[in-house]
Amino acid sequence: MQAIQDKEGVKRYLITLYVNGDSYTRVVKANTLLVNVLRDELDLTGTKKGCELGDCGSCTVLLDGKPVNSCLVLAVEADGHEILTIEGLGENEKLDPLQEAFIANAALQCGYCTSGMIMSAKALLNSNPNPTEQEVREAIAGNLCRCTGYVNIVKAILSCAQQPEGGSE
Amino acid sequence: MAAYNIVGKGVPRVDGPDKASGKAIYTVDVSLPGMLYGKILRSPYAHARIISIDTSMAEKLPGVKGIVTGRDLRDVRYAFVDTPHYPADEQPLAVDKVRYIGDEVAAVAAESEAVAEKALALIKVEYEIIPAVFSAIEAMRDDAPLVHDEQLEGTSAWEEWGVTKRKNITASSYAANNVSGRTFVQYGDVDAGFEEADHIREDTFELKATAHCPMEPHAVVASYDAVQDKLHVWLSTMGIFLKRFFLSKTLNIPASKIRVHHTYVGGAFGGKIDLFPYEFCAAYLTIKTGQPVKIELDREEVFMTTRQRHPMNITVRTGIKKDGIITAQDIKVIADNGAYRGSGPVVIFLCHGFSFPVYNVPNYRYEGFSVYTNNPIRGPQRGHGAPQIRFSIDSHIDLIARDLGMDPLEIMLKNARKQGDVIPNGDVLNSCGLTECIKGAAAAIDWKNKRRQFQASPASTGRFRRGVGISICSMFSGAMYYPFASAAIIKMHDDGSATLFTGAQDIGQGSYTTLSQVLAEELGIGMEDVHVVAGDTELCPIDLGSFLSGTALVTGSAVKLAAADAKRQIMESAAELLGVDNIGELDAFNKKVFQRQSPDNYVTYQQAIQASVLRKGGNPIIGTGSYKGYEKTDRYPSLSKGKGLFTGAYGFAAQTAEVEVDTWTGKVKLLRACTFHDCGYPLNETIVRGQIHGCSSMGQGQALSEEIYLEEGQLFNASFLEYRLPISTDTPELVDGIVISQEPSGPFGAKEVGEGSVAGMLAAVANAVHDAVGVRIKSMPITPEKVLRALNNPT
Repeated sequence: MQAIQDKEGVKRYLITLYVNGDSYTRVVKANTLLVNVLRDELDLTGTKKGCELGDCGSCTVLLDGKPVNSCLVLAVEADGHEILTIEGLGENEKLDPLQEAFIANAALQCGYCTSGMIMSAKALLNSNPNPTEQEVREAIAGNLCRCTGYVNIVKAILSCAQQPEGGSE
Repeated sequence: MAAYNIVGKGVPRVDGPDKASGKAIYTVDVSLPGMLYGKILRSPYAHARIISIDTSMAEKLPGVKGIVTGRDLRDVRYAFVDTPHYPADEQPLAVDKVRYIGDEVAAVAAESEAVAEKALALIKVEYEIIPAVFSAIEAMRDDAPLVHDEQLEGTSAWEEWGVTKRKNITASSYAANNVSGRTFVQYGDVDAGFEEADHIREDTFELKATAHCPMEPHAVVASYDAVQDKLHVWLSTMGIFLKRFFLSKTLNIPASKIRVHHTYVGGAFGGKIDLFPYEFCAAYLTIKTGQPVKIELDREEVFMTTRQRHPMNITVRTGIKKDGIITAQDIKVIADNGAYRGSGPVVIFLCHGFSFPVYNVPNYRYEGFSVYTNNPIRGPQRGHGAPQIRFSIDSHIDLIARDLGMDPLEIMLKNARKQGDVIPNGDVLNSCGLTECIKGAAAAIDWKNKRRQFQASPASTGRFRRGVGISICSMFSGAMYYPFASAAIIKMHDDGSATLFTGAQDIGQGSYTTLSQVLAEELGIGMEDVHVVAGDTELCPIDLGSFLSGTALVTGSAVKLAAADAKRQIMESAAELLGVDNIGELDAFNKKVFQRQSPDNYVTYQQAIQASVLRKGGNPIIGTGSYKGYEKTDRYPSLSKGKGLFTGAYGFAAQTAEVEVDTWTGKVKLLRACTFHDCGYPLNETIVRGQIHGCSSMGQGQALSEEIYLEEGQLFNASFLEYRLPISTDTPELVDGIVISQEPSGPFGAKEVGEGSVAGMLAAVANAVHDAVGVRIKSMPITPEKVLRALNNPT
């Protein structure tokens, strides 16, 4: 990673992130958080900040396919890695089935936790296409929601589980 | 009941695609060219005089663009309660003294958050620490330090709305012993009522402060346009017109010179209604610097310095006949409102307001005090007083039932108010499904079979024991509070579709969807034909705001009237085209106006609108409607005497809980929670169920885990790791029952659903714990320590 020093002696690092299939090169400080690069530098404000302590899960994105709190990842750590945010789901104007399921099951109210919640669910379904209800609840245990009591969120994620073989869809 | 095409259905939320795709813009997402970042310097002391503030070093820091301290704002006062009797006691920044840890002292706007933070560290404040007080009961003692010793004039922000000015109220008449508010209500003959009783019982309960925990932290962006002399504001709020009113009063600029822009709100739960110092400071600093200013609170600031639910001590004394009929009740409430009055006088009024619509108590006395302490400020939180008072009363009723050897369900059913009851302030319960709620919630939890099952069985000696409990509650549907009414405008388009302009704010409760349904149903168009412009003070007519649970009934009624107005105009135009003299012969549905007798004789809305434009002086058809916070009164109720009409309709709910208590660890697991809510009529069934889930979940947290830990005013658990709200793995099965009572004043029969059923969860859980293990926990939350202590020391 290339580093340059500014006039005050603070080092800056040249990083390249592969976000939603596009590559972005930026200069960041050592303590710059991934979530702030996404939101402030790349205008990907779909990723939310709820606590900046890694407690609430609102800023969940997928880093090389794994869900992470992007407020706990330094931008320099993400250098060269693939990142998927809520904006990268679905194709063109068509929403991802998970996004459709959240709408159809009323799995969102204020919507602030929704992006992070959907990303955690996406990671689960990628690795486990047929989760049980308990597995769904565990997968989103790091994503807080104050509005829904999680009832409809669990329902929405389960509705996207791959049907058992011979199922109708 | 009439069959409807659109209301009542669980149609998908209109804001769903925005939110699921991440495109929805919240205040924290707003960014403007040249924007500065603001930070607030806060008091590290609970009670101290400010000797001096020196900002000179901070001003010299490169990148700092503006600093404001209390000395610049000496005369600025405001408050959620601002009446002649309770004059505004808050200032945006502390002037002479700070009153709690987190109290605002100065604000800085700078090129970046980092520079602003650096600048805060360079501001030198000299304090003289003075004695502080941290409990309401201690604060009421004669020798307690006074949190507010200043003399305030008895003026009111509502003077121009006809509230009389009352000057010369001395400090001693209202702030003596730190008492910030008192409510006293009495009816019937209380002494005679107790004499008539066969059994009298008194219990005291305690509730701790809790946090709202909206996922979006509080934030504001303010941008002053000097050329147009206009202040533009984006903020995370529940009531844009109330915020504008406060900003106008405190900045001393006309309301019309301020525009609040729409953003989505990432949760509020009552905690985003007051004007906050950071909002004022952002507005002040953008005017001062000419650059936009953004202030985002961090999570610790949200916990400490926005608002919390009032901690309370509540004593209930009840006289009851052997057959379970209540003869008298005497209730005393002491609420700690923290360093400023906040909603103190309101919450003690509401504890009465959510007590007396539930049970028919013929002889009743209620006294509530709100008290200043050096704790964080308390304000409205979902249910606003209802969780505290319902926990106390229904825990107490459960204990009485045990004394009498009765089923608490029987006492509840015997004393529950019914449809048609006129309650003592004059409000009429035109719709009341309380009895159906009780029966529904009891059946859903299998009350008959599960109650006392575990004490009676051999399992009562086992480690894990189960029990069930019940509680009931009530909530307003709007009230007379500024701006006192909601209005709606419906603009028809050439193609027969409509745009709704509403000042209502979707804080997650789904108001854009339900209001669209009301419009579509009344106007005879489809949901796909409704567009919503909302939450903007410039584009939209006034709205009561999304608090006091008034959106469905009050704003919903305004929208229904506006739709009816637009429809009438369309029909008048269509009548001419159809050659019909009397529009009474016409009906409208599916964007067509037709003759009721011969439906084939019709014109489309498009044709009717075109005809109106061409033949009626160019009228493109604009429907308007308005509705008051409470249609039967033009006064707000007296907070101190509980007189006057309160609300147009009360929502009701009954909640039952089944718990499993681990007698080794004291841990209580909620297995099942059943809520039956009388919402009048569900405008959107899915959304109503979602409100019930959210209320139940919040109630679960408050019953079992949520508590603000304060030690001498210092908050110790200002993070989600240590302040535990329910997570997905500890949320039980939530049963959601809807009781339809058809509120006559509500649009299509609708009334409150978004708040009430937080309240019943607390006593339902406490009563279930008692049923399971035979111990009574009289303080919230029910932590493992409390349960273990009680199990080890049975009374």
